[in-house]
Amino acid sequence: MKLNFLKYSAVAVVFLASLSGCQDLDLAPTDKFTEANYWTSAEKASMVLNTAYGQLTSSGRYFSNESLSDNMYEGRGNSSEKMISSGQADASNSRFSEEWKNSYAGIKTCNVFLENVDKVPNMNETLRTRMKAEARFIRAWLYLQLTTWYGDVPLFEKDITLEESKSISRTPKAAILTFIYNELDEVEAVLPTNTEYAEADRGRITKGAAIALKARAYLYQNDWANVVAACEKLIGNTSNGTYALFSSYEGIFKPENEYNSEVILDYQYVPSVRVWEEMYDLAPLSVGARINSKAPTQELVDDYIMMNGKAIKEANSGYDESNPYKNRDPRFAATIVYHGAKWVRPDGTIQTIYIKPGSTPSDNIYGNVDEYIGAGSNSTSTGYYLRKNYDPTSEIGMKSGLNLILIRYADVLLMYAEAMNELGKMDEAVWNKTIRPLRERAGFTDAPSLIYPTEGNMQTIIRRERRVELAMEGLRIFDIRRWKTAENVLNGYPHGAQFGEASIDNGYIRLEKRTFNAERDYLWAVPLSQKDLNPNLGQNPGY
Amino acid sequence: MINILCRNPYGLKNHKLTHLVRIMKLSVFLLFVFVCSGLAENATSQNAKVTLNKQNVAVSEILNEIENQTEYLFLYNKKNVNVERRTSLNVTNESVAGILNKIFSNTNVSYEMEGKHIVLSKHDAAITVTNQESGRTLTGVVKDENGEPVIGANVMVEGSTNGTITDIDGNYSLQGVPAKAIIRVSYIGYLTQEVPVKKENTLNVVLKEDTKTLDEVVVIAYGTAQRKSIVGAVDQISSGVIEDRPVGNISQALQGASANLVIQQKSFNPNDNSVNINIRGISTMNNNDPLVVIDGLVVEQSSMNNLNPSDIENISVLKDAGSAAIYGSRSANGVILITTKKGKKDEKPVIKFSGMVGSQNPHVLYKPVQGYENAILRNQALVNGGSAPIYSPSQIQSFQENGDSEWFLNQIMKNALQQNYNLSISGGSKNSTYMISGGYYDQESNFTGSNYGVKRYNFRSNTTTEYQRLKLTTSMAYARTDGTDHTSSTGTLIVDASRIPVYNTYSMKDANGRYLVNDVLSEFNPLGILEAGGKTMKDEDNFTGSVNADFSIIDGLKLRGVFGGDLRSNHRLIMRKQVPFYASETATVPSGYANSNRETEDYNEKVLFLNSQVMLDFNRTFGKVHQVTGLLGFSNESYTRKANEIKKKFTDPDLGIPVSETEILTSSYNTPNGTIQRSLYSVFGRAGYSYDGKYYGEFSFRYDGSSKFNSDNRWGFFPSVSGGWRVSEEAFMTDYREKFGELKLRGSYGILGNQNVDDYQYQTTYNINNNAYGFNNVSVAGTGFTFANKELKWELSKTFNVGVDATFFNNALYASVDYFNKRTSDILITPEVPTVYGGAVPKYNAGEMLNQGWEISLGYRFKKGDFRHNIGLNLADSWNEVLAFDGNEQISSSDQMQRIIRVGLPFNSYYGYKTDGYFQNLDEVKNGAIPVGATVQPGDVRYVDRDNNGVIDDKDRFVLGNAFPRYTYGITYDMSWKNFDFSLLLQGVGKRSMFLRGELVEPFHSNYSYTMFTHQLDYWTPVNPDARWPRLAAPGTASNTNNYGKSSDLYLFNAAYLRVKNIQLGYTMPKVLSQKIGMQKLRGYVTAQNLLTLTKNGFIDPESTEFGSNMGNNGANSGRNYPTPIYVGFGLDIEF
Repeated sequence: MKLNFLKYSAVAVVFLASLSGCQDLDLAPTDKFTEANYWTSAEKASMVLNTAYGQLTSSGRYFSNESLSDNMYEGRGNSSEKMISSGQADASNSRFSEEWKNSYAGIKTCNVFLENVDKVPNMNETLRTRMKAEARFIRAWLYLQLTTWYGDVPLFEKDITLEESKSISRTPKAAILTFIYNELDEVEAVLPTNTEYAEADRGRITKGAAIALKARAYLYQNDWANVVAACEKLIGNTSNGTYALFSSYEGIFKPENEYNSEVILDYQYVPSVRVWEEMYDLAPLSVGARINSKAPTQELVDDYIMMNGKAIKEANSGYDESNPYKNRDPRFAATIVYHGAKWVRPDGTIQTIYIKPGSTPSDNIYGNVDEYIGAGSNSTSTGYYLRKNYDPTSEIGMKSGLNLILIRYADVLLMYAEAMNELGKMDEAVWNKTIRPLRERAGFTDAPSLIYPTEGNMQTIIRRERRVELAMEGLRIFDIRRWKTAENVLNGYPHGAQFGEASIDNGYIRLEKRTFNAERDYLWAVPLSQKDLNPNLGQNPGY
Repeated sequence: MINILCRNPYGLKNHKLTHLVRIMKLSVFLLFVFVCSGLAENATSQNAKVTLNKQNVAVSEILNEIENQTEYLFLYNKKNVNVERRTSLNVTNESVAGILNKIFSNTNVSYEMEGKHIVLSKHDAAITVTNQESGRTLTGVVKDENGEPVIGANVMVEGSTNGTITDIDGNYSLQGVPAKAIIRVSYIGYLTQEVPVKKENTLNVVLKEDTKTLDEVVVIAYGTAQRKSIVGAVDQISSGVIEDRPVGNISQALQGASANLVIQQKSFNPNDNSVNINIRGISTMNNNDPLVVIDGLVVEQSSMNNLNPSDIENISVLKDAGSAAIYGSRSANGVILITTKKGKKDEKPVIKFSGMVGSQNPHVLYKPVQGYENAILRNQALVNGGSAPIYSPSQIQSFQENGDSEWFLNQIMKNALQQNYNLSISGGSKNSTYMISGGYYDQESNFTGSNYGVKRYNFRSNTTTEYQRLKLTTSMAYARTDGTDHTSSTGTLIVDASRIPVYNTYSMKDANGRYLVNDVLSEFNPLGILEAGGKTMKDEDNFTGSVNADFSIIDGLKLRGVFGGDLRSNHRLIMRKQVPFYASETATVPSGYANSNRETEDYNEKVLFLNSQVMLDFNRTFGKVHQVTGLLGFSNESYTRKANEIKKKFTDPDLGIPVSETEILTSSYNTPNGTIQRSLYSVFGRAGYSYDGKYYGEFSFRYDGSSKFNSDNRWGFFPSVSGGWRVSEEAFMTDYREKFGELKLRGSYGILGNQNVDDYQYQTTYNINNNAYGFNNVSVAGTGFTFANKELKWELSKTFNVGVDATFFNNALYASVDYFNKRTSDILITPEVPTVYGGAVPKYNAGEMLNQGWEISLGYRFKKGDFRHNIGLNLADSWNEVLAFDGNEQISSSDQMQRIIRVGLPFNSYYGYKTDGYFQNLDEVKNGAIPVGATVQPGDVRYVDRDNNGVIDDKDRFVLGNAFPRYTYGITYDMSWKNFDFSLLLQGVGKRSMFLRGELVEPFHSNYSYTMFTHQLDYWTPVNPDARWPRLAAPGTASNTNNYGKSSDLYLFNAAYLRVKNIQLGYTMPKVLSQKIGMQKLRGYVTAQNLLTLTKNGFIDPESTEFGSNMGNNGANSGRNYPTPIYVGFGLDIEF
């Protein structure tokens, strides 16, 4: 329909109109760059890398991963994590699709960065190489997440086209792992150590982080020898970075101690401008939380040992069911708020948290909102609240700029201890390098709790140590899956504190039953929508 | 058309819009004014050329012929002017003056042209007039059926040219009336009366209305046309539908007014009167908003609602391609043409006042169960789920004995005053007209608290001036809207207040005025937010102005230039004030705060929409029967939006000004982040031909170039053809015409465009996001990218329309039927991208949809005794089908709702599981299909196992319904009896599915709701197996997950309804009385809005929807609507 007359008329009118101040037809956005003017400076390139950093994870995932495990119970709503942990998830579960989507979105950012950063003129080559290594680390991190959840997933190192995305098939997990190991080896060689970075760069990916992630990747495959090899690069060796346990367990997670000696990689937040607020639905209500969405389980509480080093059910542990929180592992009180726990308010006043039904003194100036009421109330569903990562400097609404730690040195020690034990190499020397310093730092003083144990199952001890040391840090779910214990701990009723009817489960609050199908649930489903769009993806067994 | 018009030299009646029964008639008149005021496409007669060949005929015949060919009307007294004189004349394209010079040369007759009137007189009164007839003088009054004087009616002696016109009081005086004469009285809009003269010298005549709607003048794109010559699907809504209605804006008033003009009012919050407007349903997967044109200027849809409803003369709705294609790239969704009122020529000033005052009463459709009852139900739900009860028998007893507290939702709602006043003055002289109006609208919010509500001030001035061949029309309108709203979200306030049980242990406020929270309302207290949480204050200025110059080049050809602008300047100030909440009356430390950051936020936006048009307009009739029209124009529309926003937190709690702890929020932005520019250049034209008022043909086109597309795809050509045949005008149909009435067939086909897509999509863009990450506790920006689609182009709609217009019973019944079929291709869709791709890709032209439908409009009026009735009915339907879609299917979900786009289905249908009653016993549970991983018990929902594989999974989902309204209808009934008038407007939807989730459906919804509502009590128990709802089971339990965790038809409701939209009863004081107190008219009335709604599910407003006008949604519908208010009030119309 190209009528010449119209064309000429149109040209004429455009001419006339342009005289009268009308706008041109070629308009560019005023708030965005275009292809033509983007890859022109290191600063602009680094902003793409910043986006990739943000795609490493999210605070929501950090905490919801915990409720996928037996550490935390989600008392409200029907979130997709609740569906997964109760065994009711099918392939259309939105956590399955979101995890997949978000991971690949981050991978795309990394690929786009890696493919375009060479276009930037006059860029410092050292900086370019380092930034590429950072992007490759993030990509490896995301692939590790993917393969840990889904097994085989599509693997690609270059940005793919829309057409490719519709036909790409899954790469076997082994190949993905090989890719991850190789990438991490290569970036490890390039990345600066934590001490080499300028202070302004704190939070960036370091050589130590690459090594620690490699250790984690091997750990998830039960590749003990390689775990040991990686961990040994960090333990007692400062050439790959300087790390040490921070003096106070509780202090690791305090805003004043951000970037402490124990942090290997943390997910960055900035007070006031880039904040997370999950604690708003996790902390006690009387200290400013809104509701309680999920809460620690009794099963986790029970794994905190006594100050004397004994598990609560061990003979002579001194555990008193009627006064259950006495003489427990100090990490318990630093992690979990229990009935009668003390809470230091930001103004320094100390408040007692009353959770037991009817226990609040009538003159309590904070009201009785923390008390356990029952299913379907605003307060806790288990009789516990969360303390770890509570930020006293957070704004009202618990908007916190506290960094969330993704890998810390304690984890490296625990990985090392576990791997050495699995290799049959656990001994007092290893113990004294790993578990003992962790317990000392936690505040244990009784000798029996510190010295190398001569009895008991070492695997149980190490796993329990790992559980409590890293509780509420989003790692438990990966441990029970690699240990293949999920089918035990995620089947049956989880429990809360002993506030329930005495006739049921000895008075421990019986929560909604969970089921875990060992035939199916060790792998997540390829998201239904993705399989529909690309039949080449196939599906994991059981979905 | 012009002939008829100009037989009425005053052009208009001078009395008011007394009765709704006369809407049609009035609109005809008002339209005439419109035509005369020069926006019409017909030329004035100043340069009219006449072609005549008459041999030996009476002068009167020549005069008649001139009247036929031009708009001129001759006025003369037969006693003085001899028109029986015989003469001959042969002229071609001669001016009227030239002819008059010829035929009256050497006579004593002189002529004077005044506007469209030519007054013949003798220039020497002393000269004896020949043929002077003797006869008496007849006087009388011409009135209409309501007793109102008819001004400017023609009163003629039949068979002669002796005639006069009535004056402003309807009086006439006719001299030289022969003894047995028959007096013919005619006036446009009325049936011509022929009355024999009797003995008396007084003859009063009552004219009856002519309901010939086919003579109605209808506003069309870039002009007007007579109803009978319209060959497209055009509906015209007259001012009567809009006036005297207690509505906040025009969109609300248009609900039910026109067939297939589908309006859904989603919220009645005065600060958020969001409505969906669709003409003929859903044709594209993108923007389905119609184009809005006010007085010839394209404006933003939001400007429509800034108009003062009482300034509106009429609204035309262009529905098909034939009538809309001239608007080209934006017309695919239909066009709403709004024309505002103008003054009238030769009219003394008319001052009108109207006032309306009433109360909006919040009408909450659901209510909570009693407190003790709720405690029992809560316990039951917990016990059913295997948990312990939470209320002890003594607590329940106490709830029962001590009675209930007032429901929190009632505590935050109040009755609200609504006021509306309008004052206008209009009139005109020989060469100019004016209309100046002012309006004030004040609607309080139904929320309690700090004087929430909205006030709107309107000012308008419309003037026309003629100077020789030039006619200038200027229009200026200013609207100011001041809105005051709370600082929260309406849905949150309502839901927080509604789902609290009415236990007597709860209260919202203690004796010291502190706001309380409790174990179930632990975050915010809505009363506290409303009363103490600060305000959102909006002040919006909207100025629209246009200059329209018409220049007559030669007879029938005009050059017209229109330049106009729509300027909006919006400002919003939000001051959030911190409100402490206490956990109990004894608590001394607040347990939480609302608005703890004390943000103060300013938002400024300026939008300029410039519109320039130049066009040539041609309209001539050749040889009496060949009417040719033509239009060729050029236009540009330039849109510029600039906005900035500054947000600060921790500002001074009283003044909102910065103090030492104040921080600027990084979501603040400057103008470059808030700028949008777009431009559209167009060439457009229309050519029409009609033969003898029987056959009509028209072609129109538009050629548009838009900044939204790459230069290769920028220009689009949109043509249309239409044709009509007035069958009843044929000789062989004479019998039919006399027996039944008019009959017209019409049809059109055209290709329309849709460019309503986001800007800059053809360019790859990198957008910077603030605070994307941080290092060392310093935030850093991140960049995201949006890839381009360089191939982006227009959507195209091929629209076919056929229609029939017919009248029956001497025009008392008017019927119009249309069918349309619209196929939209190249629909811009966001492809379903595998998430492995890692990002979004831009839209591309790949979708295709078919949209079909029909419309029936009926109008019937009759009179019986003193009763006059007027019934209007419109009924319409549209249904669409996706013909092509990327990947053929896309399922998306929001909360439990799933919707599907699938080839062969209506766009965005509801999708999910079908329920099959409830499991009645353990056997059924054991043998039944249940969802993967679920545990169910008797009383739980059973789903249909579509594939019979014994398991309920994704493959068992069905298409459950669609949310777009079907079978929409409006019924108007107007009745008058003597000085009383009554009107009723009913409006409704015949079929619609509504997905509703949340606490109104699921008892104790997700542990966020703590009360049940009375409509939820019919739940399953072993003794109530046929219950409406499944058994009670606490949220989080397996039963609850099975019953409420899925997208199923348990959440689907029938949203068909019939609403008594408006009812009005008025009384007009007899004129003799009102004149005594200085008023030409005084009418008082009482009116009610939304008085009654008939619907299947009485607990939810059936108009509540999650979808916008494009069938897009933000989440699922949780039914947390601002309550639909019932308005009751009264008003006064006064005219001086």
